[in-house]
Amino acid sequence: MSVKLNIDPLTRVSGFLKIEVQVENNKIIDAKCTGSMFRGFELMLKGRNPFDVIYFTERICGICSTAHSYVSSQAMEKAMEVKVSQLAMYIRDFIHGAEFLQNHLRHFYLYTLPDYVRGPKINPVYNEDLSDYRIPENIEQRINRSYIRALEISSLAHQILALLAGKAPHNHGIFIGGVTSNLDANIIFTVEEKLKTISGFIENNMLKDVYDIAEYYKDYFTKGSSGKNFLSYGLFDNYIEKEIFYVKPSAMIKGQLEAFNADYIDESINNSWYEKDPKGDITDNRNKEGAYSFVKTARYKGEAMEVGPLARMVLCGEYKKGNASMDRILCRVLEVNKVAMIMQNILKLIKESYISANSLEFKTYEIPNIAKGEALRDTTRGALGHWLTIENKAINTYNIITPSVWNLGPSESPKSLGVVEKALIGTSIENISSPVEVGRIVRSFDPCISCATHIHGNNFKDIEYSII
Amino acid sequence: MDNKNKSCNAMDEVVVKVKKKCREITKDLEEGKYQKMNLIWFEANGCSGNIISLLNASDPEVGYFLKNMVNMTYENSIMSTQGQKAYEKFLDTLNTEFILVVEGAVSLKDNGKYNVVATYNDIEITAKDAIKLASRKAKYILAVGNCAAYGGISAAVPNPSGCISLPEYIKDKWIIRLPGCPCNPYWVVGTIGELITRGLLEIDKDNRPIEFYGNTIHDACPRRGYFEKKIFAKTLGDKECMLRLGCRGPVTRANCPIVEWNDRSSWPIGINTPCIGCTNPGFPDKMEPFVRY
Repeated sequence: MSVKLNIDPLTRVSGFLKIEVQVENNKIIDAKCTGSMFRGFELMLKGRNPFDVIYFTERICGICSTAHSYVSSQAMEKAMEVKVSQLAMYIRDFIHGAEFLQNHLRHFYLYTLPDYVRGPKINPVYNEDLSDYRIPENIEQRINRSYIRALEISSLAHQILALLAGKAPHNHGIFIGGVTSNLDANIIFTVEEKLKTISGFIENNMLKDVYDIAEYYKDYFTKGSSGKNFLSYGLFDNYIEKEIFYVKPSAMIKGQLEAFNADYIDESINNSWYEKDPKGDITDNRNKEGAYSFVKTARYKGEAMEVGPLARMVLCGEYKKGNASMDRILCRVLEVNKVAMIMQNILKLIKESYISANSLEFKTYEIPNIAKGEALRDTTRGALGHWLTIENKAINTYNIITPSVWNLGPSESPKSLGVVEKALIGTSIENISSPVEVGRIVRSFDPCISCATHIHGNNFKDIEYSII
Repeated sequence: MDNKNKSCNAMDEVVVKVKKKCREITKDLEEGKYQKMNLIWFEANGCSGNIISLLNASDPEVGYFLKNMVNMTYENSIMSTQGQKAYEKFLDTLNTEFILVVEGAVSLKDNGKYNVVATYNDIEITAKDAIKLASRKAKYILAVGNCAAYGGISAAVPNPSGCISLPEYIKDKWIIRLPGCPCNPYWVVGTIGELITRGLLEIDKDNRPIEFYGNTIHDACPRRGYFEKKIFAKTLGDKECMLRLGCRGPVTRANCPIVEWNDRSSWPIGINTPCIGCTNPGFPDKMEPFVRY
């Protein structure tokens, strides 16, 4: 017997996500991921002042806005040939690190945990009816206390961001040339104190919590594998210090590691609610036949690639176990611990620089008449690319491929499924009236649909479109 | 000069008042003077940054807010239930006394299909229709964030998803506007605090609480001295008045200079960048360029 199950909204993600699975004899035989919202940032950016793209694009996403300011500022620097001083780079990377802390803390406690524990007794978090519930009460109570504490700890991460970049979400401090904030001793030591508190929580609470979840849900080390295709644009890779360096741009296809080449990035709209109009422009069409998502499809060498913490940990050689849901959750927590340590080491460099009285230089910039720039960097959820062109001192084209496009994009064809779709297919569903497996697998990817729904710009020379 | 001092003092008083109020709430709860009100936090077409901003609340903290001030029954980003059951929580709340908070703009394109929020009995539910349904029954309605309050970035030219603000969409109800990109959690928690205790709110002609939006950024800007002496910053990063770099402080109503952001960690002018007018109608289009040299 074959049944179709719809989970809409798949809550505890950023934005709106619908998952549809076809289940036959208690096994998922088909899956579709639908990003159900659209705003059209690429269309909005056309004609705008290039200086404004940083504050503009970060508003794509409320939970990972710094990711977009981090990448868009570097795309602008490339277009304008601006060189960033070492100190400014340290501070910007540190700010980006704070966004990692906020995202991973909130994703693990607020978005992931309610799939495994009933949660603290506050609405809308507490879930008395949680099925497949396995954690003993004393451990559950400890994890629930961590949840409450994580609310506060994750805010601390945003406070670090605000101290150095003005506010969060939607910071002001990341700009062309690096950052705008002046350091002083108060800021340095306040940031250090908050970072230590966060690190303490990760080491003493979060790691214990994730290992307990992993222990009681061992079967999730075999559920939700997307295959062995991983991609990263590199993260903390501009450092020679080995305690800071993390992962260089790299790819793994069917388990084979290879050097990254941006020319292999490609995108398509076969099953997305977009189409090419007679002029060759890409426009949205919610009624396009056969299409089922506002997310487009991204491919690398024609392959669907998983991006995110698991991809990075595998690509840098630190994680050698599996590639299923629990591996993904575990890697996110191991990574937040690692990023907190990396940040402590970057802070040392910032301090050294401060002690030797290096200060930031602030300049004015002129917008070029014609230019193009791009930045491909890994950020919280994985590989994020911004490509822009400037004509007549205004933005002409702007294209964005977010991590959630890689992970949650629809299939390109029946033979070329999306990453999350692949991870779902083949999974056994124990109780068809309460398919908890689906949510657990999908959330392990940390979907962000506010980020994921983008048209791609036309006339973009660097990208060959494959529109069939 | 006297007038200026007066406005600064008035804003300081606002801070004291709201803090005191949060303490009073604890007391009131103990004495059983009022019950927590149900609250639907509805994400429409936007970045979901206002719920993230609420999680950053510190006066009081969000955990306290959720435990003691409201009973949040529906919120897409943090609720444990999912799918049809989640939407049923939304529907169940409509039969109670509740506050409706909307963040994000209302997308009208293709009859709302650019912002589908649920599938209910195999029917797609659009944000537009769900908001209409809830607004009829809500005791209070709050448009939180610039997209809900004025259309914001979701409605930026050429407005590809046909977005409008909540007050443009729901015309027959009183809607409190709490603009900002995102809305400062201080403003949301403070406003809800007023509603559940006094049930009163002093608002301006645009339905913004005067407590938070009564003065301009410029009124209480710590760089006002530079402005008076006409000493202007030349680039982002300088410490002087940023009017000539495009600062929108003089035309932007919000108490950022007083309450700042993220537990008073800092604010945009504090880290040497101009105010971009994110609480204003017309943001972003009419506030651009954000930065000019």
